[in-house]
Amino acid sequence: MNTLTAELKVKIIDILNLSDLSPENFDENDRLVGGSLGIDSIDVLEMVVMVEKDYGVVINSQEVGEKIFSSLASLAEYIKENTPGSPS
Amino acid sequence: MGKRVYIADLGIISPLGEGVAATEEALRGNCSAIAPLDLFPLLHGEPLPTGQIRGLAEQSDLPRTHRLAHNAALQAMASGNTPPDVLDAIILGNTTGGILTTETLLRNKASNKALYRYHGLHSVAEYLAQELGCHGMALTVSTACSSGAVAIAMALAMLRSGKAKTVLAGGVDSLCRLTYFGFHSLQLVDRQGCRPLDADRHGMAVAEGAAMLLLTTEKPDRPLAELLGAGLSCDAYHPAAPHPEGRGALMAMQAALADAGLTPTDIGYISLHGTGTPENDLAEAKAVNTLFAAPPPLSSIKGATGHSLAASGAIEAVVSALAVAKDFLPANTGCQNPDPALGLIPLNRPTTQPTRAVLSNSFGFGGNNGCLVIAKPDNFSPPPPGRTKTGLAIHGFSCLTGAGDTAATMALLAQGLPVAGTPDLAAISANLPPNLVRRLKRLPRLTLSLALSAHQDSGFEAKPGAVFMGTGWGALSETHDFLARLTDSGEQFPSPTDFVGSVHNGPAGQTAILFGAAGANITASGGDYSFEQALLAADLMLEEGPNTALVLGADEGHSVLSPLLDPSIAPEALLADGGGAFCLGRKTENAHCLVRVPFYQSGTAEGSITALIDALGRVQTLNSKYALLLVGIPAAVQKEGEEQLTRFLEQSGIQAPIIRYREFTGEFASASAVAAVMAASFLTSGKVPGPLVSGNDLALAANNPAILVLGLGRYLSAMEFSRP
Repeated sequence: MNTLTAELKVKIIDILNLSDLSPENFDENDRLVGGSLGIDSIDVLEMVVMVEKDYGVVINSQEVGEKIFSSLASLAEYIKENTPGSPS
Repeated sequence: MGKRVYIADLGIISPLGEGVAATEEALRGNCSAIAPLDLFPLLHGEPLPTGQIRGLAEQSDLPRTHRLAHNAALQAMASGNTPPDVLDAIILGNTTGGILTTETLLRNKASNKALYRYHGLHSVAEYLAQELGCHGMALTVSTACSSGAVAIAMALAMLRSGKAKTVLAGGVDSLCRLTYFGFHSLQLVDRQGCRPLDADRHGMAVAEGAAMLLLTTEKPDRPLAELLGAGLSCDAYHPAAPHPEGRGALMAMQAALADAGLTPTDIGYISLHGTGTPENDLAEAKAVNTLFAAPPPLSSIKGATGHSLAASGAIEAVVSALAVAKDFLPANTGCQNPDPALGLIPLNRPTTQPTRAVLSNSFGFGGNNGCLVIAKPDNFSPPPPGRTKTGLAIHGFSCLTGAGDTAATMALLAQGLPVAGTPDLAAISANLPPNLVRRLKRLPRLTLSLALSAHQDSGFEAKPGAVFMGTGWGALSETHDFLARLTDSGEQFPSPTDFVGSVHNGPAGQTAILFGAAGANITASGGDYSFEQALLAADLMLEEGPNTALVLGADEGHSVLSPLLDPSIAPEALLADGGGAFCLGRKTENAHCLVRVPFYQSGTAEGSITALIDALGRVQTLNSKYALLLVGIPAAVQKEGEEQLTRFLEQSGIQAPIIRYREFTGEFASASAVAAVMAASFLTSGKVPGPLVSGNDLALAANNPAILVLGLGRYLSAMEFSRP
């Protein structure tokens, strides 16, 4: 597991107040939105704000958003590819 | 036969202009008034399109909301058909009060409480009452974007009940940073203006405005229209998104038609909620297509006006009154290519067409829906006779105070000890599902905990179908955190979660979701009389029959905002909060006790104490009727309140023991909800604990059963609790 994924787990548990979850039992390949975690559209928008604030990556379309937030792994991938200054 | 309710006069100010004539002219021109915001400076980026009112005179220290409401109210009262002294009540829909002013004060770290005196939602209705000389009820409805329509629906119920003959009802909101950045954080704002029902629509335009309807059961010489019916519902689905199939929207439309005694084919025009967000328009279209085999002409005017939140339902009621008065149907401004997925073809140009009845839709956050039916006067049958009996039967109750839950609170009170303080958030949340409350801060958790306990206490298996909530200050944590993060992040990263949670009706919406309560869902905000307003709303809106409702009053103590906003909370004082809840209905069998609200009027009017006593019954009977007085005198009006109490006791001859309940509960706006629970608890146990009445236990004998909960100060309110 890379650093970005580990970091995202901690941040998402914190901002969405997923108190039942710990980084250890947060599977990055599990369904993130609409799955058993009860994460919905408002949570997605909260994560959009976090991604922009902490990583400088802007996600401003719902259609794209749905794909990006399908799992934590896909979110990490998207951030990695779109971080300003990173090779793409 | 019931009473017909006429629309005697109208007042409106919106981005389209000031006054009915200017509004009509603008709508006939089919142009959008949506333009980039310049009301307040922005730190970053291009201003978003908004529906801003231009040229409103900037004078005095009154917040913009108050000035907009006053403007519309003066128009509605200007014709002279109805002199102001016969105005029995004002019912105003509002979501953000004087927050535009508050935002600036908070940024400047202003600490002078007096500067915040117009923050509260109730301050707008009370300001109107003062300016118009209305001494009756001044009620504030806050159900997000349906507030204006719900206020008008409550006015209709009040007029039909005979409690009032003339009511000024409407809605108001001004643009502010909270809503401007809040809706943007939800990605609900269309950067190209607002295009309701268009295939390429991308959202709403946040707007401002005010509209007022002068409603009366005394038929004016030339009534503009008749308010024929209203229907309320709650999606009970999600705090911000509409039910995808438009379930609540359909129920509210059906309820409005049934209330009006009409069938879908009677409707000649639908004024859609039509915000321009993909989800709203789709859900609304599904509901319309379910109810109407062949929908009549329809349009949303929000492409022209933007979405003025609490004002929108009232603005669209004015436009609906114009539609039947002038046979004029406005276009769906901004829609170029109707979305084929909606299956609706909105009016693409202003149209003149004979129109007897209009359905006007308003839907809001919290799934709070309100629909109105407005018709040509006397064209349809009058309503059936109204219910004459008032009062509600209490089957379960609960409270939260600094002492803890109901049992802990009553145990301390039984020893004559205070219960003031702030209950622990973890303890409050203990009985709440973690996944439901993970996003919720203090007020919604207090509310849900109260609601669950009251329902549990009722022993009912059936869940309550309606929710009536009173809160003086709303969700202060969410409001504070939203504005703080907005400022701290240089206006870049406000929290969408906090915005959704900041609306006053958030807690009642969450309660509806928890219970699946799909009936009426009304949040009232009346400062220190908020719980009384919720109880009044419940008595007006709860139908006969077996259905039960939750009536709640709750406020949170917030270390930064409470001392600034609540005039009764001293800067260094220890905070107190909590509230009370009732599970109640119309059926009196097996009820703990009964409650009614015989009086609610301005406390400053001449003769108000006499009027209060008259409302309670014959003066010779009062001393034997009431075994106990629970009296609420907010600290900010200590002197006036004590004077009122002295006069009340002198004139009424009541010699019952008095408990000044705020000495026990501490100072918070909905302390009266705790007092109400005390009354219900004493009646249930049959005694008032001796230490509270400085003596022996006071037995509540069967022949002397009533407890009066008096609210004193700016308003005088009376809640009467008695045995069934």
